[in-house]
Amino acid sequence: MSSDNNVKFRLNNSELWGGLIGLALGIFVIWSGLKLKLGTINDPGSGYVLFYTGILMCLFATSIIVAAITEGGASFGSRWQNVRWNRPLLLIACLTAFSFALDPLGFLLSTVPLMVLLLRVVDPVRWSLTIPIAVLAPLGMWWVLKRLLLIQLPSGIFEIG
Amino acid sequence: MDTLLNVAHGFGVALLPINLLYCFIGVFIGTLVGVLPGIGPISAMSLLLPVTLSGTPESGIIMMAGIYYGSMYGGSTTSILVNIPGEAASVVTCIDGHQMAKQGRAGPALGISAFGSFIAGTFALVALMLVAPSLASVAIAFGPAEYFSLMALGLVVLTFLTQGSMAKALLMACIGIVLGLIGLDSITAQPRLTFGRLELIDGIGLVPVVMGLFGVAEVLLNTEQVIKRDIINAKITQLLPSKADWKASAGPVARGTVLGFFLGILPGGGAVVASFASYALEKRLSKTPERFGHGAIEGVAGPESANNAAAGGAFIPLMTLGIPPNVVMALLLGAFVIHGLQPGPLLITQNPGLFWGIVASMYIGNLMLLVLNLPMIGMWVQLLKLPYNILFPLIILFTIIGVYCSSNNVFDVYIMIAFGVIGYFMRKLGYEPAPLVLAFVLGPMLENNLRKSLILSQGDLLTFVQRPISAACLALAAVLLVGPLLPSLRKKRELVALDEGA
Repeated sequence: MSSDNNVKFRLNNSELWGGLIGLALGIFVIWSGLKLKLGTINDPGSGYVLFYTGILMCLFATSIIVAAITEGGASFGSRWQNVRWNRPLLLIACLTAFSFALDPLGFLLSTVPLMVLLLRVVDPVRWSLTIPIAVLAPLGMWWVLKRLLLIQLPSGIFEIG
Repeated sequence: MDTLLNVAHGFGVALLPINLLYCFIGVFIGTLVGVLPGIGPISAMSLLLPVTLSGTPESGIIMMAGIYYGSMYGGSTTSILVNIPGEAASVVTCIDGHQMAKQGRAGPALGISAFGSFIAGTFALVALMLVAPSLASVAIAFGPAEYFSLMALGLVVLTFLTQGSMAKALLMACIGIVLGLIGLDSITAQPRLTFGRLELIDGIGLVPVVMGLFGVAEVLLNTEQVIKRDIINAKITQLLPSKADWKASAGPVARGTVLGFFLGILPGGGAVVASFASYALEKRLSKTPERFGHGAIEGVAGPESANNAAAGGAFIPLMTLGIPPNVVMALLLGAFVIHGLQPGPLLITQNPGLFWGIVASMYIGNLMLLVLNLPMIGMWVQLLKLPYNILFPLIILFTIIGVYCSSNNVFDVYIMIAFGVIGYFMRKLGYEPAPLVLAFVLGPMLENNLRKSLILSQGDLLTFVQRPISAACLALAAVLLVGPLLPSLRKKRELVALDEGA
């Protein structure tokens, strides 16, 4: 019973998964370094530093994994305990949607809805404040950049902005 | 005599109306971001990095420097009045500063913080003027081996001072080096880790990485917290500290100034560690250490002086060696590079107007900050009442615009958002972003110097230990790497560990 509990605890150990991700990245960096050409110690090639940095990454990641197994570590759930975890999640969803919309819709058509979402969905602000802030802030910035600083912001397929 | 002539020349540059304007904008924005919790000097500087393109190098760098030391002043206001550090270097000011405010002594706390900062800032500038030219003349003799070892030491010191596991900090530093190497190899022009994307040929930009890891990630972390603001609402009167306050603060200001300046010079050190070290020193030297934590003015005077002196000292390695000792200085290095300038031993002789102009502008900036922080304190208090749910969408908007303007490239906005999400999960899992960012900047230089020294020495690794400066740096780095294995040093490390490496 106790051994089952330990296994369950270890698999949900955030430290362990952090270390494993680090190890995977390290292996990828070593492989990239090898692919690029290591060169010799007299004349190091493009992959020389990458290769050795990858080895160091694997060493540090292994030490994190060993510490996670021997000393244990916080579970994923405990990292998000007593916090409003849904808000960063919503914010990430809004930013992801925005990143897909920015190029095709352009700056103004994508930023105004983003501001409305951020002001209303993540931590709601009343509509009487949301609308002016969501419209005037991007519009003001767009005007300053385009008219005063002559910086062209993306105008999208509708060529607005 | 030469120094005096140079200072006069510097004032000639700094007092030009356009430079005065940029200096004012810099210290004003610095105070603003220092006051506002959730946005720090790193985010503000990376946001405004593209703006520096529109003026002369002097104006741009004067503004960027102003943001940095201005934020050191502004951070104390929030710590004292709201008990939330406006930026990382003011964390320790909360302890006694807010207690003083609760006891009706917010005025003297703010006053001693501003005067202490002014005295320390001025001392740091005088020391910068005297030390930088001599160090620059020594640094001319530095070869690639010395540069490599110094940079390696800087990274190790920063990882040593980063909060939490050192293995995690070192892993972050390695990832930073790898990210810094993305793009064309500077020697063979071979594309590295570009995955066939044209946008990655020039590498990843510093601005989207920093804005993502420090700007967007910080917003994500703040939105999950209920930010309670215990704002002192009583009218703040009598900002000038009393005679007794001055008597109690004189020693801490002097000690904090000297300690902060030297910790600022150290690669990997900076304002945050300086303020913590000063607090610990004052508590240890005090005859009544039990007053600390209950409104002791020494607990405000020492750390506030130390963080400002460190901010000045941090310019020395950047200006004389071209090595940024912390993330903020890495951004300043970015500003130099944008203007086609390379900070290093030759900067002072080749661009005396720029160097002395920046130094002189800091004197003027310190005076401006005294005016901004004392008579205008009411305005900053009002600003603290701005709710975070209105502030964060604006921060996100500014970061998007700032990143886009830095390269006119939508791809950089994607990079920023990706690093924002990565940065959020990193912080949640206890991986600090500061070593990653410093390594990202130092990575290409580190690689270049390593490869150059290996080519020059025909592959002889002993070149790193045969040269005294290089050997000393590597020996110190080795001690710091092995140190955490010793229980006594591990305990000390935990005491001085930083939240952020700025």
